[in-house]
Amino acid sequence: MAAVVTPVDQRPTSDPPQRKRTPLWRSKGAMVAYVFILPYVLFFAVFRIAPAIYGTVLSFGDFSLSGAFTLEGLDNYRRLFADSLFWNALRVTGIYAAIAIPVTVAISLAMAQLCNRVLRGMSFFRSIYFLPVVTSPVLAGIVFIWIFSADGPLNSGLSIFGLELGSWLQSSVLVLPALALVSAWLNFGYNMLILLAGMLAIPVDYYEAAELDGASTWQRFRKITLPLLKPALFFVLILETVKSFQAFDTIYVMTGGGPVRASYTLTYMIFDQGFGYFDFGYASATGVVLLIITLIFSLIQRRILGRDN
Amino acid sequence: MAGTMTAPALDEAGANKKLRRKSSGRGTYVVLGLTALITLFPFYAMVIISLQPGVAISIPDSLFPTSISLDSYRDALDSQNIPQWAWNSAVYSIVSVVLVLLFASMAGYAFAKKRFLGREMIFWVFIAMLMIPYHLTIIPQYIIVGELGGLNTMWGMIAPTVANAQAMFLMRQFIKDVPDEIIDAARIDGAGEFRIYWSVVLPQTKPILATLGTFVFLWHWNDFLWPLVSQQSPGNYVLTVGLNTLQEQQVPLATLMASAVVTFIPALLVFIFLQRYFVRGVMMSGIK
Repeated sequence: MAAVVTPVDQRPTSDPPQRKRTPLWRSKGAMVAYVFILPYVLFFAVFRIAPAIYGTVLSFGDFSLSGAFTLEGLDNYRRLFADSLFWNALRVTGIYAAIAIPVTVAISLAMAQLCNRVLRGMSFFRSIYFLPVVTSPVLAGIVFIWIFSADGPLNSGLSIFGLELGSWLQSSVLVLPALALVSAWLNFGYNMLILLAGMLAIPVDYYEAAELDGASTWQRFRKITLPLLKPALFFVLILETVKSFQAFDTIYVMTGGGPVRASYTLTYMIFDQGFGYFDFGYASATGVVLLIITLIFSLIQRRILGRDN
Repeated sequence: MAGTMTAPALDEAGANKKLRRKSSGRGTYVVLGLTALITLFPFYAMVIISLQPGVAISIPDSLFPTSISLDSYRDALDSQNIPQWAWNSAVYSIVSVVLVLLFASMAGYAFAKKRFLGREMIFWVFIAMLMIPYHLTIIPQYIIVGELGGLNTMWGMIAPTVANAQAMFLMRQFIKDVPDEIIDAARIDGAGEFRIYWSVVLPQTKPILATLGTFVFLWHWNDFLWPLVSQQSPGNYVLTVGLNTLQEQQVPLATLMASAVVTFIPALLVFIFLQRYFVRGVMMSGIK
């Protein structure tokens, strides 16, 4: 007991004696503040910060099912870079992103341009376009399995034009475009709203002046809308990049990574190695690589788009 | 070409304005209508198939049904675990919304209005964590929740989702705009610290609470990966996970679609009644 009391008693003497204000961390307001942030900080530390650090540590070791963890240095990464499964996942993720990002952004931009006018009933149409955003990817996946099936509505429609494609999800060529279309359907309403907010912020005078100078609709879009929309467009692009690198729900429901790993993305690999094989260390190494790739891409996009800002 | 285009356009700009608007309006409606139909088709298909149990789906005949039956809904609600899953989804979503809003607003208030040691540092650690992808943290999160004995429990599923960095950030931004004067006035009137937060600050943030609440609810209602890995027994599934197992078990397509419709109805209701909060939230995120 005495041993506990002594250092506390000594503390004031070790502090500079002339201090007038109570130290920031001991003032009444500060104590209240700590109480207010405590629940949040506690949950955040245990379920966000700890897992982020733990995940990085896991990638340098092996976590056996019995709960024992052994550090193994770079073994997981060495194995990863020698694994054809990883290179396939990287390739699949790249192709998927290369399809999903431009398709989704182009549709979102076109729809925002279409919705950026005063017309009776416009808010009704905007609501319809927004409906997929509140839909769960699992539900979307289930309906689109049927839409993309061999005798589904999409193929029935295409057969009118003489196209016989068979089941999209069982074709190693068509499976990624199919998944990208589902992603576009799910997300365009959200992006459309962000772009629309950006378009509404552009002064009408610019368009009126351009119209007087005889600029065509396309010229007005190209020379006024696009440059002034850059911040919103950049935001949407980053959003879609992250989303396409992390696509999981629709892939899990619709293809399970197939056919023959044609839709086996990096996120799917993390899940598969982690919860399919319970190889937590290996899965975490894949996660760290995904993190690095995401960061590099954000930086590149920032560099390219932000140059003249 | 450009020259000949420019001159008449200049002359007609004023006179033709009305005319052009009108014709472009009709064309716009055609495009708007077509894209709306494409957007709505999956929902339409879902409902139509769910109303035709036992019918082999042939296209396009069955897309315009002559007879409908609610048998699939009876089947979905009676013989499947759907009521239990719906309850689990509701608890997961609603408890999370309450906790996220409470913790985020409390912390947001402290970060916006209080001076304390480590304020800037702690805040930027939170924001930096937004960069870490979810899929990197899900495995350690699974291990940690397992260590705490939370796997296969409702609290174990909810706990990792309540410390929401975006929510806290938004609350802080919003509470910053609450005038200091009304807080000081309440303090002079003798209100305690919690009282000030609860009856002075919180009422000022109602719009942002509604926006955040809508977002967090829909996010949890549609969440899939974490409920999938954290719950093993079918009685603990949420609707999205349950729906996926039905699909894997290859129940009849009509039953599957009826289950999907049931899953979608709460999200639809939230969307219809809280749409303006949701839309405002999206637009806010883009402008900043």
